[in-house]
Amino acid sequence: MTQHQTEVLDIADGKLDAAAALDFVSDSGFGGITMFVGRVRDLNHGRDVTGISYDMFVPLALNGFAAIAARAEADFGGKLKLYIGHAKGRLGIGDLAMVVAAGTPHRDEAFRACRQVVEAVKHTSPIWKQEHYIDGDSVWSEGCSLCETTHTHDHPHDDPQHAAQHRQSHP
Amino acid sequence: MRVALSLFGAFRDYQPTAQLTLDVADGARVADLREAVAAYGQAHWPTFQPALLARSAFASATCVLRDGDGIPADGQMAILPPVSGG
Repeated sequence: MTQHQTEVLDIADGKLDAAAALDFVSDSGFGGITMFVGRVRDLNHGRDVTGISYDMFVPLALNGFAAIAARAEADFGGKLKLYIGHAKGRLGIGDLAMVVAAGTPHRDEAFRACRQVVEAVKHTSPIWKQEHYIDGDSVWSEGCSLCETTHTHDHPHDDPQHAAQHRQSHP
Repeated sequence: MRVALSLFGAFRDYQPTAQLTLDVADGARVADLREAVAAYGQAHWPTFQPALLARSAFASATCVLRDGDGIPADGQMAILPPVSGG
């Protein structure tokens, strides 16, 4: 049993539904359910944020979500359900930007599958984040170049020091 | 051949229509298209940063392409600056 559901939801059409994601990955044989919910926060690198616009190459992103799910299914065996959802458009503070849920028989593979999928979506999907600040300025976030194929991630990019190191080591 | 490029992320700041059409030689590879975009950017985008293009990938609607790959026959491509989802 391997199933996954992926979606891109324009904020103009609706909001990601974490409860529905949880329901999708639930199963009577699953004792481990994990979920990551990414929300827009009001502060980044000391600047007051009023919102984030997400730009996306949707067909390639959905292809990538399917490939990420297939990889997780291969890595974590036959008993896995996954939900991968990402928002598009201009989001306000507190809006859900990303929801990933994983259901498995036991907690360990549920945690690991969820983390693997989250990192893969963040670092390989054709999605771009533009932060809007209270002073009216807007800035596209630094990101991961898709020109390199061998770089793997198990670290956050939110830390400015790490981000600077990342830019130096992966120009 | 004519290539229709969709622009995303920071490239939208260069070209608000988010679309760019360029002519390249038949049989051109992605590396040739990259050079064509660089030349166009230098000529038409006052704030163009070549370093951003250097870190950007090219893709069809189904996969990311490498510089040595050929350009899809339908000429439909996208420029992908460094990604920052989540």
